[in-house]
Amino acid sequence: MDFGLSPEQELLRDSLRGWLADELSIERVRETLDNGDAGAASRTAGDASAMQGLAGQGVLGVMLPEEHGGAGLGLLDAVVVATEMGRALTTVSYHSACVSAPLLLAGAGSAEQKSSWLPGVSSGKLLLSFAVGELEERDGALTGELRFVPDTATADAFVVVSGNGSEARAWLVERNAAGLQARDYHNIDITRQLGELQLSDTPAEALAESDELAGLVARVSDAARVVLAADSFGACERALEEAIEYAGVREQFGRVVASFQAVKHMCAETFAELEPLRSLGWYAAFAWDEQRDDAARTVALLKAHSAEVSTRSVMTTTQVYGGMGFTWECNQQLWFKRVGYNRQALGGPVAERARALSL
Amino acid sequence: MDLSYGPRYEDFRAEVKSFLADNADRAPRMTMRVVEHSQEVVDWQKTLIEAGYAARTIPREYGGYGAEPDLLETMIIAEEFSAARVSQGAAGQGISMLVPTLLEYGSEEQKRRYVPPTVNAELLWCQGYSEPGSGSDLASLSTRAELDGDQWVINGHKIWTSTAVEAGMMFILVRTEPEASKHRGISYLLVDMDTPGIEIRPLRMMTGSSDFNEVFLEDVRVPRENLVGERGQGWQIGKTTLVHERNFLGSSALTEGMLAACRKTLAAATDEQGGGNLVHGDRLMQLEGRALAMKYHGLRMLTDRLKGRNPGAAGLITKLNGCQLNNDICSLAIDGLADYGILYRGSPHAVDDGAWQKQYMFQLGMIIGGGTAQIQKNIISERGLGMPREPRATAGS
Repeated sequence: MDFGLSPEQELLRDSLRGWLADELSIERVRETLDNGDAGAASRTAGDASAMQGLAGQGVLGVMLPEEHGGAGLGLLDAVVVATEMGRALTTVSYHSACVSAPLLLAGAGSAEQKSSWLPGVSSGKLLLSFAVGELEERDGALTGELRFVPDTATADAFVVVSGNGSEARAWLVERNAAGLQARDYHNIDITRQLGELQLSDTPAEALAESDELAGLVARVSDAARVVLAADSFGACERALEEAIEYAGVREQFGRVVASFQAVKHMCAETFAELEPLRSLGWYAAFAWDEQRDDAARTVALLKAHSAEVSTRSVMTTTQVYGGMGFTWECNQQLWFKRVGYNRQALGGPVAERARALSL
Repeated sequence: MDLSYGPRYEDFRAEVKSFLADNADRAPRMTMRVVEHSQEVVDWQKTLIEAGYAARTIPREYGGYGAEPDLLETMIIAEEFSAARVSQGAAGQGISMLVPTLLEYGSEEQKRRYVPPTVNAELLWCQGYSEPGSGSDLASLSTRAELDGDQWVINGHKIWTSTAVEAGMMFILVRTEPEASKHRGISYLLVDMDTPGIEIRPLRMMTGSSDFNEVFLEDVRVPRENLVGERGQGWQIGKTTLVHERNFLGSSALTEGMLAACRKTLAAATDEQGGGNLVHGDRLMQLEGRALAMKYHGLRMLTDRLKGRNPGAAGLITKLNGCQLNNDICSLAIDGLADYGILYRGSPHAVDDGAWQKQYMFQLGMIIGGGTAQIQKNIISERGLGMPREPRATAGS
């Protein structure tokens, strides 16, 4: 019986936390965000040096096969990474770029597709993205629209999925493919870019056709859900730490506000909800890694529970700041929006609970 | 991450299973209430101690089985007895709170005299901690004990005393050093409940039952040697056992059982009674997510204990979360019953004789008892998160 992170996973957490604080601090993230327009060039995802730095930390290819330059580790390791990225507001769509897109490619791609793309994902030289929608295929070319696609502005290629059950098909669409148009959204979370793709007779390389494709899509989507939940957890954990620190120095009525029970209880309630969420996130990742029978249902319950707890958590920690919490200057807004993105993406709480009921 | 127990523990589990298969029919019926111990209970307790499934880690010379403490063995025993719905033997505050206290702080004479009959289920205890004027601020307690020759003379008023009527003895916190600061002036005494000057009055709860009592003590004389530990050490001694109580309240085994029962109630509820599962599925899944989170949090805390690590603030949340969750589960089951949810015991049409309403109220009591939810939040924020204490309000401010 050993429920928790291994010494290696704790080391990964500590070293990544240290590296992010030194090299990709929130101050630096803020500089790129504040200086840039809504376009892609300002995103860290398009910042080659940052991506290569992250690659040097071994975190981009955590879940990818070793033969393709990855670390060959599991979802629990990716959870460790995503938690740190949520804390540090790292401007990477990790759930898609390093989890669902490359994992589907690793599971259903040809040998050539894998060796052309996966090493680049691990080394930070190539950015993949994941998209699901209704597409029409004619003579190896795709037509249709894909919405809510991460990194439309910067991805080098998109792993796209259409159809359900035995009808499910998947392709790889390169960024410079003919007839592919990307449009940027303005989503609430300015740390991760989201957009949509228009495909008109766009050439695409099919991944292997298989009866198991739908199952694989469900599985990599579940992995992405667990990663989004971990990202929210990390965001809320750090938001609470900073709120407690602020409450310890902010004085009103002649005393630090952290000494008021009203403020302390807000923090205690938040903490008491976050810690079990951390435990559930670890278990969901473990169940996914071990392909346990309860994995899919646990993921749905985690995604829903994470949404409820994280939203409440960051609403509360923002209020600890009083009026300051509502300003652009206060970091709480960044975590607030990060959590807002994670809550809706790949299933909001009500949808996930309905899914859990059916599983 | 490894959730297996390993071959040694699986062998142990097989032993427990085989014991249960052979002996379960001799076990007394399970009840929630701790009552005066019948011969059947005492016999079953003896069987359990001999097999090593009760008083497992109590040394042999004090009437226990004498095994080395092993958390996983303890867990496996609990899991298997609970799965087989067989009584794990005598319970109560004597076994759960007094015995560990005496083993840690008691004199040799006290251990030999009190531990064996307590673990054998022959001697039942009650706890004299809370007072009408000292609830959350327990350390302000004012029941006094003064030394008069070889005897302590106790005067005061205790409340929330469960099993006071059935108990043969009480362990009590009393103020013996009125000059000392409030935490240092308290001592821990053992009182025979037959001593003249003790009056017990049942305290009726909102459920209608009298699960607690008030105990009035007037010139109650107990021998000087009934002091446990040193004079003025009572707060430190009593606090140790309270931590144990809080970890027990809100444990996830109870939550899982209640959630399963709730699911059953919702599934059985007809459309007339509120639509059952379909209507309430969303809330049921919300509760299941919370329950799962607490379940795996429990495994995380268990791992910390196995490794001798201090879980820090994360170890302080079980009571706060678990009791509220149990209360919410009852609330959903009652909603699932619609109008029938109002019916209480003895009523025509009452589902399970109104058990959900009783549980709902009982679990509210659990949120309050053993340190209110608000006190838990103070502990989490002050001891766990390092936030400062509320400054003392001064008169006239």
